[in-house]
Amino acid sequence: MRLGSVALKYATRSLTRHSRRTILSMVGTGIGCAMALVALSWMDGAIRMQVRAIAESGAGHIRMVHRNWPETQEDTLRLQGLEEVLATVAETPHLEHYSVRAHAKGLLAFGTRTAPAAITGVLPKHEMAANRILRRGALEGRYLEEDEEGAVVIGRTLARRLDVMLDDALYATLSGKDDIHSAMLRIVGILDTGSQELDLAVCHITLADMQEITGIPGAGEISLVLSEERHSAEAKAHLTETMPADNTVITWREVNPSLAANVDSDTAFMRLMALIVIVVVALGIMSAQLTAVLERRAEFAMLSALGMKTRQIVSMVMMEAVVIGLGGAVVALGVGGSVSYYLATRGMDLSRWLDDDLGFADVLFDPYLYGSFGVWLIGYALAIAMATTIFATLYPAWKAAQVMPADALRTTG
Amino acid sequence: MTATTDEVLVKAQNVTKVYHTDEVATHALRGITTEVTAGEFLAIVGPSGSGKTTLLNLIGALDAVTDGHLEVMGHNVARMSKRQRADMRLNQLGFVFQAYNLFPVLTAQENVEFVLELQGVTDNRTERAREALDQLGLLDFADRRPTQMSGGQQQRVAVARAIASRPRLVLADEPSANLDGENARILLDMMHELNEQAGITFVFSTHDPRVIAYARRVITLVDGKIDTDVVKEREAMAEQT
Repeated sequence: MRLGSVALKYATRSLTRHSRRTILSMVGTGIGCAMALVALSWMDGAIRMQVRAIAESGAGHIRMVHRNWPETQEDTLRLQGLEEVLATVAETPHLEHYSVRAHAKGLLAFGTRTAPAAITGVLPKHEMAANRILRRGALEGRYLEEDEEGAVVIGRTLARRLDVMLDDALYATLSGKDDIHSAMLRIVGILDTGSQELDLAVCHITLADMQEITGIPGAGEISLVLSEERHSAEAKAHLTETMPADNTVITWREVNPSLAANVDSDTAFMRLMALIVIVVVALGIMSAQLTAVLERRAEFAMLSALGMKTRQIVSMVMMEAVVIGLGGAVVALGVGGSVSYYLATRGMDLSRWLDDDLGFADVLFDPYLYGSFGVWLIGYALAIAMATTIFATLYPAWKAAQVMPADALRTTG
Repeated sequence: MTATTDEVLVKAQNVTKVYHTDEVATHALRGITTEVTAGEFLAIVGPSGSGKTTLLNLIGALDAVTDGHLEVMGHNVARMSKRQRADMRLNQLGFVFQAYNLFPVLTAQENVEFVLELQGVTDNRTERAREALDQLGLLDFADRRPTQMSGGQQQRVAVARAIASRPRLVLADEPSANLDGENARILLDMMHELNEQAGITFVFSTHDPRVIAYARRVITLVDGKIDTDVVKEREAMAEQT
């Protein structure tokens, strides 16, 4: 249909016959698409927040490990060429923080009490910078200092289980490569994360102590926190290209497949919600367009009688949908864009729905949820509004093309 | 007066049309056999329900015959695809309906131009549309929409639209039914002139004596059958008009 053609004039002017209905269709399309836009913006923000929380809780966006670790998850495996690896890591694009760790399973004892523990050897400054649980949790005492010997920070639940307090000395037994090793560790800090599960997992000593006690030199993993998850592929490519052999790079998804499944499930749910909104809007548009077509039954019959082909009639009705879709996209951008901009700049305070006490959500998640906002909204608004109206108008357009001229002209004439 | 030629535009042999509604069969046409030759000015008359409109719809390929053989412009209509029928209507037939059936959102000129656009005419399309309007004495109304015109003017726009595509045959279903005496006379004079000057063949359905008076041939239908088929003498025509 050419610009300036009579068919185009017919299509566009037909929208002015019932201008109130046309405006309502545009507004309806716009509001529905705006809801979908806000849902997508919110979803994107929530997912980014979730992934950020996961990455800053120890997993990192990407992690370097020994190449056998993904299969065996063996704590005694160490990165090959640690010095070279650290040099490579420091040059990783979009890197914010990294933490260097080694893990060992062990048993902590105080008096007659014992508790199993997953003990982590860390570089304290890097760990504090990369791990939000340490930064946000309530720490009694202090965290580890660089090169500090014989010191340990444990979680509140572990402390309760062992019935210990600051400055108490724990007897730690750790599994080494070939043997069991033991050491005395003085408690310098007790961390309360608000989550018993997280508290149980906190048992930090310095990496130097870990190497000393277990007799295994080096580090088991380096977890990298990037500025955005979307840079993971670029960072991974850099590391893979430059790191020494026998090491590998894995993503947080491979480290925490169950969390990844949760994130995917949340994404799918939000998309389904957006889709339901769009389908409801589409049904509304379909109803309005069908009414518009049935009202003009005699005109479509006349067009057919004049020799207009099915394809041409369908195109003409679809052109009306395109105009409604464009109007809807403008409304969607106005409404959805404003709400998304508010969500992206001001955020939504989630703390009002959380308990006043320190809780798991306070430590792991940000109190404010920020949506996403960007040029992509324009493309999404256009795509959703156009796709919705065009899809919704397919049936009315087909109906218009199927009008039997003899029947329609007889009943109206 | 344009003499009719031997070229047969429409050839109907034992054409039957039956409508089925809720298991009730209505026989609209019962074995119509006739021919329409180029240049005719033919009126199909008869009482309501006699099958006049049905016959026009069949000739215009707007409806399908139930039985019998119908050729329009040398094509067996029953064997034509939907697209071929549309092409024939677009390029060889013109339609005028009782209710005018103009597009209310378009001006008179755009209504006429629409058909030319469908035909794929790109050069001088506007000029041709205005020429058609001029032939019907409507050039001053070119920019008016149908609601801004009288019934007679609207029907003349409909005729302009029908002839703008330069059809060989114009089918007019009760063209004067909604017009007063003066407007009906103006319309018929103009159609008669188009028949005489441009050689366009006109077939009307009507029960209006004013239209019948203009016709050179009158087919009378009764209960879906041809009752009489009369060709008037020139002298008789002159007296009637």
